[in-house]
This record gives sequence, C-alpha cells and structure tokens, in this order.
Amino acid sequence: MTDTDITSGTMDGMGPKGTKIGLLRVLGPAHVWALGVGIVLVGEYMGWNFSVGKGGAYASLIACWFAGILYTCVAMIDSEVTSTVASAGGQYTQAKHIIGPLMAFNVGLYLVFAYTMLEAANAVTVGFLVQEVAGMTGHAEALNDDAFIVLAIVFLAWLNYRGVLATLTFSLVITAFAFVAILLLFVMTAPAVAPGLLQHGELMSGGASLPYGWIGIIAAMHFGLWYYLGIEGTTQAAEEVRSPARSLPFGTLAGIMTLIIAATLTWYVCAGLMPWEYLGQAGTPLFDAARLTGSTFLVVILGIGTLFATLASANGCINDASRAWFAMGRDKYLPGWFGAVHPVYRTPYRAIIFLVPIALLFALQLPLDQIITFSILSGLLGYTFMPINMILFRRKWPLDSIKRGYEHPMHPLPAITLLALCGVTYFAVFLGYGTQLIAMIAFYIVASLWFHFWRYRFVDRGAQFTMPWPKPRGY
Amino acid sequence: MPMWTLIEYAAWAVSAILGLNMLWDWYRTDTTYSEEVLTSSREGEIEAMTEQHRM
Amino acid sequence: MAHYKPPRQSRAGQIIDVFVLLALTIGALYVPLWLKLAGSSTVQTPVENPTWESLGQSPVMVERWAQLGYATPADAHDLITTRFDYAFTWGAVALMVVVIVGYFVMMLRLSEKEYRDVISEKFDGK
Repeated sequence: MTDTDITSGTMDGMGPKGTKIGLLRVLGPAHVWALGVGIVLVGEYMGWNFSVGKGGAYASLIACWFAGILYTCVAMIDSEVTSTVASAGGQYTQAKHIIGPLMAFNVGLYLVFAYTMLEAANAVTVGFLVQEVAGMTGHAEALNDDAFIVLAIVFLAWLNYRGVLATLTFSLVITAFAFVAILLLFVMTAPAVAPGLLQHGELMSGGASLPYGWIGIIAAMHFGLWYYLGIEGTTQAAEEVRSPARSLPFGTLAGIMTLIIAATLTWYVCAGLMPWEYLGQAGTPLFDAARLTGSTFLVVILGIGTLFATLASANGCINDASRAWFAMGRDKYLPGWFGAVHPVYRTPYRAIIFLVPIALLFALQLPLDQIITFSILSGLLGYTFMPINMILFRRKWPLDSIKRGYEHPMHPLPAITLLALCGVTYFAVFLGYGTQLIAMIAFYIVASLWFHFWRYRFVDRGAQFTMPWPKPRGY
Repeated sequence: MPMWTLIEYAAWAVSAILGLNMLWDWYRTDTTYSEEVLTSSREGEIEAMTEQHRM
Repeated sequence: MAHYKPPRQSRAGQIIDVFVLLALTIGALYVPLWLKLAGSSTVQTPVENPTWESLGQSPVMVERWAQLGYATPADAHDLITTRFDYAFTWGAVALMVVVIVGYFVMMLRLSEKEYRDVISEKFDGK
C-alpha cells in the first residue's frame, strides 16, 4: 500500500480503492470505554443473579471471578489482534484475515445475533421497569408494555442512524451514571453507614451456602458470563476511532477492570441483603437491593440506573450489530446492498434499519430466558473462536513480522485458559439448557453449508484480504 | 388512571414519528445518491492512511 | 491462480438470500419452543403446611422475605422449593461434545480451503 496518497483531500480515508463515503473517525478512548462498559453494565442490573439461582451465592461469586478470568483473556487477545486489524467488522474481519471466509461468516453471525438478542432483552426490561413504576404510582390495571419496548428500540435506532458521536456520547453519560449508582449503593450499605444491614454470615450459612454442591459452581458459570457479556464489542468501533491502535486496547482493558469491580460490588451488596432463593430469580436485583435499604433516594437512583443501563446496552448493541452486518454486506458475504454508508451522517444506515424489525420481533414475541440463552450461546461460540484465532495469528504472523499496537503477555497461556473456560461453560449451559445448545449449533451448521456452497460465489476472493500485511507464514 | 394511558399513546406517537423520519430519510438518500457512491466504502483504507505495518 | 470474478447478484437474488437467513434464524429460535424442549429443567419438592423452619429459613432470612413482600411461608414456598435438575447422562454429554467439536472441525477445514484461494490470489497473482 505504498502508493497511497495521504495528502489527497478529496477522498475519505484517502482510499486507494475509491472510498467516497466512509464511516466518520470522531471517537476517543472514553467512547470506547462507554461502548464496552455500556453494553455490559446492564448485566449487573439484571441477569447475573440467575447464576445465584443455579448454584447459590458462593457459586455465583466463584463464577463471577472465573468469568472475569475468561473475559480478561478475551480482552487481552482482542486488544492485540484488533490493534492490528482495525475495521468496523471487529472479530469478523479478524477471522477473515487469520482463519478464513467461512469462519468469518460464522463469527459475523455470532456478533449480530448476540447483540440483537441482547438488545431485545434490554427492551423487554425497559418495558418491565415502566410497568413496575406505573404500578408503584397507582396505575390500576396492568400497563401494556409493548409501546415502551417499541419506543426504546426505535428511539435508539434513530439515534444510531443520525450519527455515531452523539450516540456514543449519550452512552458515555448514561453509563457513567449507572456505574456511579452502583458505587453509591455500595457506600450507603457499608457497615459503617448502615450497621446490621448486610448479613452475609446469616444469609449464606448452612443449607444456603452451596445448595447444589460443587456441580452448582460449574452450572453457575452459565449466567456468570452475564457479568461481562459484550465487552468484546469495543472492536466494532475501530473505523470510527481516531487512533485505533492506541484507543482500542486502552478502552477495552479499562472496561474489563471497571466491570470486575462493579460485578464484585454488585454481588457483595445483593448477597448480603437477600436470601439466595429470591435473588436467584429476581427481575431487577439492584432495584430490589435499593428497596431493602429503606432509602427512597437509593430507590430512585437505582431505578434510573436500571433504565439507563438497559438503554446504554441496547444502544451499544445496535451500534455493534449494525457494524458487523454492514461489514459483511461490504464484502458480499451478505447482499452488497447492506454495505452502504449514509452520505451525511456517515453511519451504516441500511443495516441499522434492517435490524430494527428483527429486534422488535424477538422482543415482542419470545420469552426472555430464550432470548438471553441465545445471546449467551452466540457470545460463547465467539469466545471459542478467539483462542484459535490468536494461536494462528501468532503462527502466521510472528511478532517480528508485523507491527502490533499492543502485544499481550504470556502467550499462549491466555489462549489455553480461555479455551478451557469455554469448555466448562458449554457444560454449564448444557446443565439445564442442552436442547437450545444443540438447536443453535444445528442452525450454525446449516448456515455454514449454505454459505460455503451458495453464498460464497458472490465474494471476490483476493480483494477481501485488505490489510497491508506480508504473506502469512506457511502458505 | 388516564395519565399512564396518555403516556402509552405518547410513546406510540413518538415511535411512529422517529420511525417515519428514518424511513423518509432513507428514501430521500437512496433517490438522491447513486448506488456506487453509497456503497463505495472499502475495508482497511484507514490502515493505509494511519500506519505502515512493516517494521 | 486465475483471478476469480464473482457474478453480480440481482436484486431479487439478494432479497431471497436475506429471507433464507431470516427463516433459518427464526427456525432455530422457534423450533425448540414448538417442540416444548426449551427452557430450564426444574423440579419441585413441595413441603406440606410449610413453616419458616421446615423451609430452612433463619430469622434474618424471614425478616428479609417479609421486606420483599413475602409475609407468610406459603407465599415463599414455591420460590424456595423449586430446584434445578442437574441429572444428566454421559451419553448426552458425549453427544454435545461431538456436535460442538464436529462443528468447529468442519468449519475450520472448509475455511482453510477457502483461505488458501484467498492467499494465493492476493499474493501470487501479481
């Protein structure tokens, strides 16, 4: 790519291949942090507590930390690869350059489905929260939540359509609020402030310590992923970040640290306030925790925090899913019509519009646990791809062959750890949700065959390899 | 209480306005610009601009 | 290797491809629901005339249940006695391992085949 004219002022991205309209490069590391943490933080406000139901409070904490190790490996691997492969497709583009087209197609689908399902789950939670508030303010009959589910999805899609900077600045503000709300709850329930409120010893002894024994700890890993699910989405912003090689590793690693802190605090407060049988099935555990403190101030703050966390998450999900869908359209993995960029707002507008009715269909039609499990499984398949990706990346392009913005330490230890933890999590999902696991893999097998034998004919072979890298070793 | 019923209708109305705004803008964009311009984005061009990967 | 020139896909073909993908997705989500195979497997172990003691709840727990709106043992009975069923057969575990490993092996092999074409066209063509 030495013939690139970087002084050209007419073409966006100075493209040697003729980009006239590209995505706009306006984001900084704080936006990357907001995108990563914003998607995930909702996991602290709802969903993680199902891991308490699957194994008890101690099992949930152990799962929280093991999932923390899993995601630290994910963040390290992702940071290294993505500081080199900076593209809107994220892991999809990584797979395309390092493993091959079919893997890339599958990874692209994992991304789109994991995020679209998470978006639908968030919209359902918004509806649930509005219903709760209507009930608390004295609305007589049950409020129909459809209007609010539709509003959440359409509003955020509209925001995404109109431009990425405003969208992620919105995310940054509401994510910061939701995070501060968790810190406030932690401070105001501390024994020095409210003596006798947290009763870990009483609530977690005897039969309540490990109700399912050791297998419960493994089973809890299933929903343990909810503490962090989605942090890998930071890579999708690569074409819109001002200096991807620096901002992406920084934002991602800062994000995972924030989340490990928030997850542990959330567990600590909730496990000290509620019996595990209740906590294990609660719809909005942090909101319940605030109610148990007896402080109206905390109830209001955590109520708003829950709303903001779900909106930030759905917002990030629309952003990431549409970028992955767009990147696949651009390469003709999907119809090329989706590879369009809006000439004014510089967003992948057709991908954004197309995914709206799909998110609505899932949010209005499917039960919540089905949506969540599909999302977790798509995420999990993506994490299984990452160690394979990392090992092949180091083998085909060793450290001295291309410049990396970030090199993660102790290779291949993180990759092997990640693969082992993924294996444990498959077994955890299998305990209780085995049918969904098989149904979903069957879906990906059929989709793979469809791609290999039909769809791949529309893809230009050599042109999809876009990185200015040397030829891989061994080819 | 009619207040929440009103809020519900308002939610439907806002959704419809935002949705129609998007659809209208989509239609206008697709009829104003040629397909070649709209789908001219190519992956990896930023790379060529920002850094050379050879050491 | 000769440069592969992909055909241009018609508008109708593009629409059909999108619908195929949609049908596959919706199928994967709804088929387990229709077959009533979705959701977690739980078992109930009911307690006759439940008291807080027979449900294994300590005084602190009872106080918290009350604050959460479960005033009597009967209210909280269903929540406390519902448990996951973690019984499984090793045959089912083996099936899961075969399906997952088989899926990844198939995908990696087909990918490798496609990848060699990409690399040879990209680096040897010029």
